[in-house]
Amino acid sequence: MLIEVNQPGCTGTRREFLWEAGAGFAGLALTSLLDEDGFFAKHSSAAERSNRTNPLAAKLPHFAPKAKRCIFLFMYGGPSQMDSWDYKPDLQRLDGKTIDIEVRHRSFKKQTLLGSKRRFRQYGESGLWGSDSFPHINEHLDDICVIKSLYADTFAHGSGLIQMNSGRVIQGHPTLGSWLGYGLGTVNENLPGYVVMLDPRGGPIAGAANWSSGFMPAAYQGTHLRSKGDPILDLSPKTKITRRAQRDQIDTLNALNAKHLASRPGFSELQARIASYELAFQLQTTAPDALDLSNEDARTVEMYCVDAPRPGEYDEDLGPGPFGRQCLYARRLIERGVRFVQIYSGGGHGDQNWDAHKDMEKNLTIHAPEIDQPIAALITDLKRRGLFDETLIVWGGEFGRQAVAQDGGQGRDHNPKGFLYWLAGGGVKGGHTRGETDDVGQTAAVDRHHVRDLHATILHLMGLDHEKLTYFYGGLDHKLTGVQEAHVIHDVIA
Amino acid sequence: MRLVIFFVLLTTCAAVADADQPTADERQFFEKSVRPLLEARCFKCHGAKKQQSHLRLDSRAGMLRGGDSGPAIKPGKPNESLIVKAIRYDELEMPPDRRLDKREVETFVRWIQMGASWPNSENSPLEPRQPGLGITDEDRDFWSFIPIVRPTLPAIQQQGWARNEIDYFVLDRLERDSLSPSTGATKRELIRRLHFDLLGLPPTYEQVNGFVADARPDAYARLVDRLLSSPHCGERWGRHWLDVVRFAQSNGYERDDEKPLAWIYRDYVIRAMNADKPFDQFVREQLAGDEFDTKTDDSITATAFYRLGPWDDEPADKRQAEWDEYDDIVSNTGAVFLGLTIGCARCHDHKFDPIPQKDYYALTAFLRNIRRYGKDKSPTHYEQDEDAIFVALPSGRGKTLGVTERSGTPPATRLLIRGDSGNPGDEVPPGFLQVLCREPGEATAKLPTRTRHVSSSGRRTVFAAWITSSRHPLTARVIVNRIWHYHFGHGLVETPNDFGRSGSRPSHPQLLDWLATELTRRGWSLKELHRLILTSSTYRQSSLADNPRAITIDPGNRLLWRQNLRRLEAEAIRDSVLFTSGSLNRKMTGRGFFPKLPPEVLATQSKPGNGWDDSPPAEQARRSVYIFVKRTLGVPLLETLDFASPDSSTPTRTTTTTAPQALILLNSSFIEDQTRVFAERVSREAKGDRSSQIIGAYRLALARTPTADELQVALDFIQRQEATDSDLPALAALCKLILNLNEFVYVD
Repeated sequence: MLIEVNQPGCTGTRREFLWEAGAGFAGLALTSLLDEDGFFAKHSSAAERSNRTNPLAAKLPHFAPKAKRCIFLFMYGGPSQMDSWDYKPDLQRLDGKTIDIEVRHRSFKKQTLLGSKRRFRQYGESGLWGSDSFPHINEHLDDICVIKSLYADTFAHGSGLIQMNSGRVIQGHPTLGSWLGYGLGTVNENLPGYVVMLDPRGGPIAGAANWSSGFMPAAYQGTHLRSKGDPILDLSPKTKITRRAQRDQIDTLNALNAKHLASRPGFSELQARIASYELAFQLQTTAPDALDLSNEDARTVEMYCVDAPRPGEYDEDLGPGPFGRQCLYARRLIERGVRFVQIYSGGGHGDQNWDAHKDMEKNLTIHAPEIDQPIAALITDLKRRGLFDETLIVWGGEFGRQAVAQDGGQGRDHNPKGFLYWLAGGGVKGGHTRGETDDVGQTAAVDRHHVRDLHATILHLMGLDHEKLTYFYGGLDHKLTGVQEAHVIHDVIA
Repeated sequence: MRLVIFFVLLTTCAAVADADQPTADERQFFEKSVRPLLEARCFKCHGAKKQQSHLRLDSRAGMLRGGDSGPAIKPGKPNESLIVKAIRYDELEMPPDRRLDKREVETFVRWIQMGASWPNSENSPLEPRQPGLGITDEDRDFWSFIPIVRPTLPAIQQQGWARNEIDYFVLDRLERDSLSPSTGATKRELIRRLHFDLLGLPPTYEQVNGFVADARPDAYARLVDRLLSSPHCGERWGRHWLDVVRFAQSNGYERDDEKPLAWIYRDYVIRAMNADKPFDQFVREQLAGDEFDTKTDDSITATAFYRLGPWDDEPADKRQAEWDEYDDIVSNTGAVFLGLTIGCARCHDHKFDPIPQKDYYALTAFLRNIRRYGKDKSPTHYEQDEDAIFVALPSGRGKTLGVTERSGTPPATRLLIRGDSGNPGDEVPPGFLQVLCREPGEATAKLPTRTRHVSSSGRRTVFAAWITSSRHPLTARVIVNRIWHYHFGHGLVETPNDFGRSGSRPSHPQLLDWLATELTRRGWSLKELHRLILTSSTYRQSSLADNPRAITIDPGNRLLWRQNLRRLEAEAIRDSVLFTSGSLNRKMTGRGFFPKLPPEVLATQSKPGNGWDDSPPAEQARRSVYIFVKRTLGVPLLETLDFASPDSSTPTRTTTTTAPQALILLNSSFIEDQTRVFAERVSREAKGDRSSQIIGAYRLALARTPTADELQVALDFIQRQEATDSDLPALAALCKLILNLNEFVYVD
């Protein structure tokens, strides 16, 4: 018998075939939809048990979620709390006074307090305080909940980033996006469920460890989405080849693979691999489409500052253009069902990110305007599209900064002992603050929360119980929040 | 009569449950969705108290046995399962009081479709141990802790199938379920399977034909011997070991600096596999090779085992970091050699296994005198301590990464309460796992005096001797299971790093023990073990799933009624592409090479390109085992195809199938380049018309001639491609297509 080759054009059967084989972007075989169709009862009987479930098939949450997706705005380097939303009049007053301060674990130094040079005022009906570095975000403070009393375990970027993303200071554990993919699956099979966008100046320290799936299968790791060139690695061929020729290639390949499968009935993984090629082909249009801004109206594009020029005041600055573009991409991605989008503001080293060791003012001048208008635009845009209430926005870095000037300069050193994060959107109590640092903003003092509480809260808002979301590895049911007790911060939930 | 039938059924069902341990996902699904539903709606009438219509639904066995109307479930076939008909109110109407809603019905349907696995009550939900319980007789009777007794061969009914002892155990197990083994694989399938299994490379067309034509009765055994003696065998099996010991050549974290000379350890492992170094010696070298009376380059190099883990030069907390470093070693030593999750006993007694917290620190005490990887550079930073981590090779051929000890008396080790370095408790002397010690006082280590080991405490020698001694059964069981795992795609114990209560139970406990005794009888020779497994009829079965009864009873093939169809690992796929194109560089040893990465991948680093060198093209065509393993920068081709995470021990590789894999295998520069080289090779070697080129390409890539249908498909494809406006030559397009075939990446 001659092998049938689907000629370009018969998309109907192709679609049906895809559903039948059911491989997702990062998953394999058998979605719950296929289950309902009784597909495998009809077609497949043997096949390896371990491969029968798509790791990313949509799964039910533990309880009704407040938010269906999450945009995590990661301020790499560690943004300053006392220059943003943790207003400390006492620190201003005590500027220049020398104190003993723990600059690293069990290491104390005499340093002088550094008052913020920023001006603060209260905003909106809630009267939350905001610094003049973030005029646009401040306009949305009634929708934002600031958690001021977070603390973490490490003074170092490497382990700090890893802790913020994976809950542990030790490398090798799955990251938040992996946990969400594992717990909830994905609802868009044509796009990755966990997307990471990086700053044009470079990746964060420890690079891919920050979106690793650790000991979970690679299907749960974050996909690095690029703003320039191919959005996904190797999305398009390196040589010029027509779409028609490519279509022919996939069809011929799959026809030959179908023949191979026919003599090995029952192996769903062979079927899934056939489907994965079809999806790879479709991805060449769906992925660029998700990042195609040509159908966005000009006002929207402008609101996100997509085409804003570089200010050029410092070598390091980029202006709001790149981050704004990524925020707009984030909205388009979550509209298409991507579960978790993480955008890094800041990359590389020194003042290329929020790591303001030398000069707090310079660092803020570079980075605050890069994110201020884009984030405000994101909130506005999500609201106007009715997406705000089901999208969780998380803002923060790997730690905060110290109340003192580092070694007599004008900058601030790392500070995991007290720092802030803010949340907005799905399920979040807007215009609210949780917890306090001490009088100078150095150490979490009232209603202190470890990072694991933040993680528990994010999972909770997404409909997952951090105690129940476990992954068995190495003899242990692992949790994002680790072995120590973690608590959902119910006070931040509307 | 009735009694007899009942008994047979019962053993069958128990066996099914045993052979069909659910995956973590399935377990979760069952416990979260299925069991609560059963409890709420079914057990009242079909449970322990009442069995209306003689039906019990509180076990898988009960469901399979069914009641008056027949079996309640047919695993994998919801539409043929009575219980589904009943809850759909089709023919039967159950539960009678209130119909299940659509979602609840779907839950059952999905569960049965997934094979209706039912987690063992002893296994899940696992009851935590009572804290402070100590070691009980019951603990010592747990299957993996019981001493190994060489089992006698079981009696089997089907004569003529068994080629060696392995087959007796496997066949006996199958016969107990009235199953028969599959037919033997074809010679063509066998040679391809063996090549990939032992070398990670495909056979050539000529090799396949030669083997098929070889009518000598020992042709297969000769082939096994030939492959076992190939240097590529060590590369293939060495990489398996590197998975388990979390091998990497950089430290991870912020700076992710190179671990200098870590590659010498990789080469040592490959050499050890090729030389068939006895496994007990291999273990002793890694744990204590620096303390040998006669030190060799190998014994020194092996101790790099202690230096392979991730290491943070700017740790969150320096005081805690020291204990994290010990933990990396203790946890991995436990997992790698003993198959135990000892690391779980760092902060408290092990929750499930009889490993008191004290035992964790008793093992740590053996290692406490090791000089640490780093030394202080500043109050917050460490730097690599070159005096501590570099050791001169006895041959005088330079240095290697390895272990050294502090001089003087080793520091006392104290149990850390809740694992907190700031909260030391009682002193714990070096000692062994109590559950594995059956004589009084056996757990206490007898330590040597310092004089015998001038530069070292000699403690690790004692530790290594215990690990490899016959006083406990784990080391032999664990390595035998690992070898089995790589030959079949799953182990007799499906959790090779966890032989504890939370791990899986052996599908063939007697076979496991027989192999373990055979290994030690044969002087711990892994090649002998390979030979034994490879020449069994069990291994030589076809991988086709064409036995409906076996599919129903044992869809996961734990009973080994067939061989498994397997996808090649990332390295084998990449190496096969190079092999096919003819550009494979077979050079062995050395620091390794850096595949060219696209700038967008390097851009994920905080310093793009940092720690990633340029390697010349010839180097880039080397086997994947020589790719530099950098902790924070993976090679996308490998990562996407489920390469082992270098941060912790990887006992099994997952196999995922994803669209990004297809993209990389279609569009990456590596594939693009190799496709062209492959096409050039085809045009060079296969003179003549298109047909002979196609035949040549098939022979190079798949070691076979295409069928007439395939030839026609390829001819048509080339013709259509030529008609399009593409820069990729039509023959190259075909070559790329062939490299992407399922047949290219799957082994029957």
